[in-house]
Amino acid sequence: MVDEDAFDKLELELRRGVVVLATLSQLRKPRYGYELRQTLADKGFAIEEGTLYPLLRRLETQGLLASEWKIEDGPPRRYYALNADGRKLLKKLTESWQGMNAAMDRLLKDERP
Amino acid sequence: MNAHEVIESYVVEVALLLPRKQRNDVACELRALLTEELQAKADAAGRRADAALATDLLRAFGEPVDVAARYRPTLTIIDPADGHTFLRASVIGLAVIWVIGLLSVLQQPIGTGLDLLTPLSQWWVGTVIPSLWWPGLLVVGFGISTHFRNRSPRASTWTPRSADRIHGGRAAKVMALVGILCGLFVLQDPHWVLDVFWGGRAAPAAYEALTYTETFRERQAPWLFGLLLLNIPIFITVIVMGRWSAGMRRVETGFALATCAVMAWTIWDGPVLQTQAGDRMVKVILALIILFVLLDFASKRLRRITPAPRAQF
Repeated sequence: MVDEDAFDKLELELRRGVVVLATLSQLRKPRYGYELRQTLADKGFAIEEGTLYPLLRRLETQGLLASEWKIEDGPPRRYYALNADGRKLLKKLTESWQGMNAAMDRLLKDERP
Repeated sequence: MNAHEVIESYVVEVALLLPRKQRNDVACELRALLTEELQAKADAAGRRADAALATDLLRAFGEPVDVAARYRPTLTIIDPADGHTFLRASVIGLAVIWVIGLLSVLQQPIGTGLDLLTPLSQWWVGTVIPSLWWPGLLVVGFGISTHFRNRSPRASTWTPRSADRIHGGRAAKVMALVGILCGLFVLQDPHWVLDVFWGGRAAPAAYEALTYTETFRERQAPWLFGLLLLNIPIFITVIVMGRWSAGMRRVETGFALATCAVMAWTIWDGPVLQTQAGDRMVKVILALIILFVLLDFASKRLRRITPAPRAQF
């Protein structure tokens, strides 16, 4: 029987590896934190708020996102979007992910009983 | 407290843990996001956004210290790859310092159980607490190593090393050879040291202090002289060949162990020098040499790898 703790840890590792790619993928157009979280959750990739919001700041510090405060039908919100470097990185990460995904598909099909 | 105050106190706690220039901006964004999250949660639950709901939300969001840490890039003081080595070096180093300190305080006569408390408190104050310099030094050393490794990862690229290489290169062996020759001179006539450093103008008391006893001259000195002399052809061969052979290693190990045995015999057999202070100093030096050689052997033994499958049953 698979140990639930071990499963949780390994699944967390898997998710950690793709959180950045998932986030970048949804920032081709400007979004604020809560909106981004909802979008990701609607598309089946829920990220905890405590993980996502700080991540946006870190990605901005790393020079991948641009952000600005805006007031659009509600309180002031900080909107994030990919900048030129972020777009380049997203393209490379997407290619890499697709390669890995295809390889994993082949591997898992081979092993299927 | 109402929900707004709960969120406010949380935001302030997080912001205070961030760099000053980032605080207000992050606090403003975090407060807006948490308020929106809270409202969505309340709507989903069909209830009012009260303090209890806000507290639940913030507990799920994480401890302020963890959340603040997530806002900043990860800071690694000691590379995780060095973690085990750091821990082992800390524990072994502290154990050695504590044992040496304990042995030195226990040298004073102890009559009753109460008498034991005095040396133990001396040990605690004089050895245990000051010994924290050791892990501190290791943190600095490993921290510097991690810093440079992260800054230029290519500089720490692994390169193959031959098992029969000379540690420290030929230069180290030349230095060792010079050391052996100096040792031979000192064994033959210890006054040579005074002549070299003071040009023969050292005080007569110094010459007297550095005079061997007859017992040492007749018993241990010839053995030590012979063993040191036998090392010379081995070292010259290693310097010329640029590597150790298995045979030379065995011979060098044999000579080193024999030299340790003669040095131990020298320590126990009687005075080496004619003055008590000089004699004590020489014996401390000999004991340290023996300790160093034995630790080196033990370390080599522990680090020896013999690839073999582990027995399953």
